[in-house]
Amino acid sequence: MNWHDHLPAFLVMIPLLGAFLTPFAASFGKTARNAFFMLFMALTLVVGMLLCTATFDGGVLVYVMGGENFSLTLPSGMSYPVRILFEIDAFGSLLIFCISFAAFAGALFSIQYMDRFSGWKRFMSLYFLMTTGALGMSATGDLFNFFVFVEISSIASFGLVAFWRDKPESLEASFKYMLISQVAAMLLLIAIGSLYGKYNALNMGALSSMLRSGTLERVSLALILSVLAFKCGAFPMHTWMPDAYAEAPSGVTCLLVTVSQASFYGLIRVCYTIFPAVTQGGTVGWILIALGCMSMFFGVMMAVVQHEIKRLMGYHSISQVGYMLLAMGVGLLALSDGNSNGTVAAYGLTAMKGGLFHVVNYSFYKGLLFLCAGALYYATGTRDLDKMGGLARSMPWTAGMFAVAAAAISGLPPFNGFVSKWMIYESSFAVHPLLPAVAMITSVLTLASFAKVFQAAFLGPSKAKLVAVREVPYGMLAGMAILTVMTLLLTLFPGWFMDNFFENAARALLDRQGYIRAVLGGM
Amino acid sequence: MWNQLDTGFGHWNVFVWLCFFVIVSGFVLWVRSLGRMDYKRNTDQDEIYWSGNEVPDDGAKISVPASSSYWGFRVAMEPLYAVLDKFHSGNASDYAGYFVVTVALIGLLVLF
Repeated sequence: MNWHDHLPAFLVMIPLLGAFLTPFAASFGKTARNAFFMLFMALTLVVGMLLCTATFDGGVLVYVMGGENFSLTLPSGMSYPVRILFEIDAFGSLLIFCISFAAFAGALFSIQYMDRFSGWKRFMSLYFLMTTGALGMSATGDLFNFFVFVEISSIASFGLVAFWRDKPESLEASFKYMLISQVAAMLLLIAIGSLYGKYNALNMGALSSMLRSGTLERVSLALILSVLAFKCGAFPMHTWMPDAYAEAPSGVTCLLVTVSQASFYGLIRVCYTIFPAVTQGGTVGWILIALGCMSMFFGVMMAVVQHEIKRLMGYHSISQVGYMLLAMGVGLLALSDGNSNGTVAAYGLTAMKGGLFHVVNYSFYKGLLFLCAGALYYATGTRDLDKMGGLARSMPWTAGMFAVAAAAISGLPPFNGFVSKWMIYESSFAVHPLLPAVAMITSVLTLASFAKVFQAAFLGPSKAKLVAVREVPYGMLAGMAILTVMTLLLTLFPGWFMDNFFENAARALLDRQGYIRAVLGGM
Repeated sequence: MWNQLDTGFGHWNVFVWLCFFVIVSGFVLWVRSLGRMDYKRNTDQDEIYWSGNEVPDDGAKISVPASSSYWGFRVAMEPLYAVLDKFHSGNASDYAGYFVVTVALIGLLVLF
C-alpha cells in the first residue's frame, strides 16, 4: 500500500481539514492565514490532478471508508456495499479537475480581493466547505453521501452568497437560493429514501445493477432529475442563479460555477449510470433537450439586456448550462437508439464528448469572466456597466484576459468555446435541425452581449470618476491568469484534451458495467 | 496531432485558423500602410470629432450607456420581454412555485 491509494480520501479530507483549522491558522496573523489558505488549496489541486492521472491510466478508483481494508467493497456475507464509498472514473475525475482548478484560482484571486473586508475566518471556512462539497459530489459512489455533499456545498454557498451581510441584496439572494434549495433538498431526500426503501441499497453501482423500470423508480428519477437540473440552473428553475452569482464575492462565484457543474455531473450520472432502465425510452433525453434549449435561449435573451455585469454573466451561465443539457440529452437519445449491448450511435458519442468538452471550457472561461467582473468591481467600485468606460487603458491585463474569455464563451474561432459548440451543433443536427439553430442563435446573442460588455467597460472615453483607476494587484491577476492559460491550452490543443480527457470520460460514462463491476466484482 | 480534432462529421485544426488570421492581419496592415502618412501626434488632428460640437470633458456625456445598447432589439422583442420580466418577479414564493410546477411536469412526462 502506498499513499497514492488514499488519494480519494485526501481529496475531501484536505479541504475539510482546512475548513476546521481555519480559525486556528487565522489567529497567527494575515500572512500565516493567507499561506495556510493557499497551501491547502494547492494541495487539493495537486490531489485532484493526481486523481485525474490515476483514473485515466487505471479505469475506476474505488475507496471504502471505515472498513478493515480501503479496497474491500463487499465484506464477507454482504451482497451490496454498505460503507461510505468513493468511486471515481474518468468522468468524475474530469469534474474534479475543473473544481480543484477553479477553487485554486478563486482562492488566489480572493487573497487580495477580500483583503479590504473583515470576516476572513468565515470566508475561508465556508470556501473550504464549498470545495469539499463539490469535490465530494464528484467522487462519491453512494446516493445518500451525494445528498450530504450537496447539502454541504449548498449550506456553505448560502453563507458565501450572503457574505456581505450589510447589503440587503446579498441577504435577499441568499434567502431565495436557500428557500428553493431546501425544497429541492427535501425532494432529493424523498427520492433517495424511496429507492432505499425498495432496493435496500444506496450504492450507485449496486442500484444500477438492480434497478428496474416501475412507477416508484420513475417518480424517483423525475425528482432527482428536477432537483439537479435546478441546482445547475436549468430554465425555468434558474431564478436563484443571477441573484446568487451577482451578490457572491467574485472568487466564490468562480467556484459556484463548478459547484453547479458538480450537480450537472450528478444529473448525468443518474441518467446514464443508475437509471438506464427508465431513460431507455427516450423521454428523459427529450426532457434534457427541452430544458437545454429553453435554458440557452431564455438565458441569453435575459442576459443581452442586462447592464449589471455580474447579473449579465449569471444569465449567461444559464444559457451555457443549456448547451451541456442539450448535448447530454442528445447522447441519451442516441443511447436509446443503440442496440441492447449499450452501444451508442456515432452522433451520440460526439454529442457527449462535445458536452464534456463544454463542461471544462465553461468552468474555465466562465470562472475567468467572473474574476474579471470582480476585478472591475474592485477597481471601480461599481458593477453597473453604465458607469464604466475606457478601462482598457488603465487595466490592460484585465481587458486582455476578459477579451480571451469573452471570445471563448461567444464561440469565436479558434477559441475552445467554438470547438465544443461545433461538436454540439453537428451532433444535435442528427436529431433535429432546429436544435443547432437554437444553439447558434444563442451563440450569436452571446457574442452581441459580450461585445456590449467589452465596449461599455473597456472602450470609449474614460469616465471622469474613473481617471484614477489602476490595474488590480498581481495576486488577483495571477488568479485570472491561471484560468486564461487553461482556456488558451484548451484552444491550442483540443486534440490532446479530446484524446486524453473527453474521449475517456465519455467512454467511462457509457461503461455502466465497468462502473458496477468496480464495486460488486464479477456480479 | 495535439492541435487537430476529428469529430467523425468534420475536421478542426486550430493552426490552420491561426495561419488564416496571420495572413489576414498582414493584409490589413498592408492596406493600412497605403493610408495617409501626414498624421501628427499632439496636434489638432488628435482631437475627437463629435459632429462639429464641442467635446465634453466627461466621457460619460459622449458614450452610449450599456443600458441603451440594443435598444431596437429590445423594442422589437417587447412582447417576449414583457413575459420574461413578469416571470422574473423577484418574489421567492413565485420562484418556489415555478420549481414545484416544473417538478410536477417532469414527473408527469417521465411517469407516462
